Amino acid sequence: MNKVTTSILIIFILIVGWVFYLTNIKKDDSLTVRYYSISELASEVNDIKKIKVGGYIKPNSIKISEEDQLEVSFFVYQNKDSVEVNYYGIRPDLFKDDAEVVVSGSYKNSLISATELQTKCASRYEGDLKNIEKI
Amino acid sequence: MISQIGSIAISLAGGLIFSSFIFLGLYNKSKNNDYLEVAERAILATCYSIFLALFCLLNELLISNFNLQYVAQYTSYETPVFFKVTALWAGQAGSLLFWTFITALFTVTYIFTTLNKMRKLKFHSYLILAFIFSFFILLSNFIANPFEPVSSDIIVQNGNGLNPLLQNFFMAIHPPILYVGFTGSAIIFIMALAASISKDISFEWIQSIRRWSLFVWTFLSAGIILGGYWAYNELGWGGYWAWDPVENSSLMPWLTLTAFIHSSMIQEKRGMLKKWNFLLATSTFILVILGTFITRSGIISSVHSFTAENLGPMFFTFLSLLILYTIFWFLRRKSYLDTPDKIDSFSSREGGFLYNNLILILMCFTIMWGTLFPILSEAWDGNKIYVGASYFNQLNIPIGLILLFLMGIGPLLSWKSTSKSVLFSRFKLPMILSFFSGLIYIILSGSFQLYVFVAIMGVSFTLSSILGEFYKSYKKYNRSSNFFSSVIKMFLSNRHQNGGYIVHIGIVLLFIGFIGRAFEVEKEFSLSPGEQIYFSNYVFKLNSIKSEARDNHYAFLSDIDVVDSDNQLLTNLKPEKRIYFYWNSDPEKRQPHSELDIYSTIQKDIYSIFSAYDAQKNIGYFKIMINPLVNWVWIGGVLMVIGSLFAFWPSRRRSK
Repeated sequence: MNKVTTSILIIFILIVGWVFYLTNIKKDDSLTVRYYSISELASEVNDIKKIKVGGYIKPNSIKISEEDQLEVSFFVYQNKDSVEVNYYGIRPDLFKDDAEVVVSGSYKNSLISATELQTKCASRYEGDLKNIEKI
Repeated sequence: MISQIGSIAISLAGGLIFSSFIFLGLYNKSKNNDYLEVAERAILATCYSIFLALFCLLNELLISNFNLQYVAQYTSYETPVFFKVTALWAGQAGSLLFWTFITALFTVTYIFTTLNKMRKLKFHSYLILAFIFSFFILLSNFIANPFEPVSSDIIVQNGNGLNPLLQNFFMAIHPPILYVGFTGSAIIFIMALAASISKDISFEWIQSIRRWSLFVWTFLSAGIILGGYWAYNELGWGGYWAWDPVENSSLMPWLTLTAFIHSSMIQEKRGMLKKWNFLLATSTFILVILGTFITRSGIISSVHSFTAENLGPMFFTFLSLLILYTIFWFLRRKSYLDTPDKIDSFSSREGGFLYNNLILILMCFTIMWGTLFPILSEAWDGNKIYVGASYFNQLNIPIGLILLFLMGIGPLLSWKSTSKSVLFSRFKLPMILSFFSGLIYIILSGSFQLYVFVAIMGVSFTLSSILGEFYKSYKKYNRSSNFFSSVIKMFLSNRHQNGGYIVHIGIVLLFIGFIGRAFEVEKEFSLSPGEQIYFSNYVFKLNSIKSEARDNHYAFLSDIDVVDSDNQLLTNLKPEKRIYFYWNSDPEKRQPHSELDIYSTIQKDIYSIFSAYDAQKNIGYFKIMINPLVNWVWIGGVLMVIGSLFAFWPSRRRSK
């Protein structure tokens, strides 16, 4: 191997090492967030600083504050388990009952204080046909 | 009737592609060219039946035949004709057929142009083509059939219609443009494999594969930029890139293809780096399929949902087979692809390309690592860990800045090696300019941000170095007295190189847009009509909120005056809150939508969102963002596409 290839190889290895360092050693840092399933949270008693949860909005659980329309609380469910979420800010347009959401934030006293609320991008209309007549 | 024809057409395509395998097998045994000829016709016939199937589906969409599940799901009587056409790729089954359709278009082109000149590549090209086709046709026939009728016990009175969010021109054209890029990479994959397997890498081949790559690259770039443009103008989060898995999976093949376009130049000029180029050319398509697997399997949580359970394992199998096939032939042809020449200097054109490749591959690697990290970490210790946008930014901003400087350095280097004195004389002016622009930034801006500082220096360095190159070749063509005619002559003189430079200028402009991101500010607030708020040197005054019932939605219209620091009325913003399907008695079926209003200038955008309205108290909730320099991203994107078309466009025959 000549000079050029060797030096390129060294740079490559250094940066790959850096990537590993960033993702593995600094796990609690600002870069990463652990994904919890809602059933995992049901048995979780400790507080969690950073959390990401996905699920569906429980029907009739959306409560928008009277004072401030940007303040909302709702439950996210998956199968039988559910967890309460508080959020302040602009809600996505697709935010409604049974919408699939991903929330990130912190978890304290069985309550998620979300800093980020995303609904699945509307790629299309899912689900059943609406205007039908049974024969 | 038409739908039956379509259904038969895709079954027929399946039979034809199967028969092509048989004839290819017979050819392999007997080496009788007739068999190869028949296989070729079988593949062409497959393509034609796919064309037929697509036109049948298009017909059913246009006449609103709601007896088909697909048509009923994505269109309704009210859907405008244009969006009935675009419904072809709105859902899973249609988009798969559409994907196959574009592959078929490319296949016909490839057979009649490229393979006509390179007959030796035919056998292996057909083999791989047949494999790729059989996968997609299998999906269309058995798993996602667009001609599936609705269940026999119902009558559909009207279809569901297309999501209002998707009824946007840019959203409608963004998928097919991206698909052209994605499927086109299959041809590059096939060419690289076929030429290596049949040990027939010729000069003609490298020129041809480079043309295909430029073409594919143009569409990939345009598709990615259009996706960002749509997200920015329609989705209302004020950005154009979020490092979402779906976005990442379109960026990864773009990076390897960009690397290939550069490093294949070394192979064209000096016959080197064959192995490396083989890997880049094949991995582009493999990354496309990996991306499709990620987006269509739902294995990684993404805001884009295409999830359909049964496609994941299928794509995974397809992906694994492609990878195994590539590795198998790479190992068997390793010695054939070996080249004795080595790159002998850091400061040569080849060295420059090599750094560029290194940087692009590193970017691709970090993005892939971040995207797949949830899967990898879950496999490692059971914890599904996501990396956020901060990971991608932290890694890719410095790497991107190096790339920015390289774009200015590379074109000034000579092949083989560049002497120090030549280097110095060429880089003198760009370095001085870059130094001064950095200095100006420090003097003018109150706060110092390292990345902004470096990026400003990089932009002026690279821009001045490319413009300097243009000036040099302009002087060469300055014989004729007319300025414009000599400029035109200069541009036409070396299309490849000048097209490349135009692309580079486009990317520099993209970086100007990226610099703006460091200065974005935003505010959320509530106002009643008549009230005003001060934010970021502007006064926002809400004049009124009106409501209006329109054709297919109900709208709340706000009216905001923006007054600048000189007390002059700058603009008037009218963001809307719309409710689609508001007549539906079930509130769950109604669909709210925030229609943005953006005051856009070359310096900054004022981006306004009407996010909620409290009718009882008559209070509107708004979000305002000041996004500097965003327009440079779109200008840069357009320039990238123009530049690569310029390089791609066939030059006129020089015969007189």
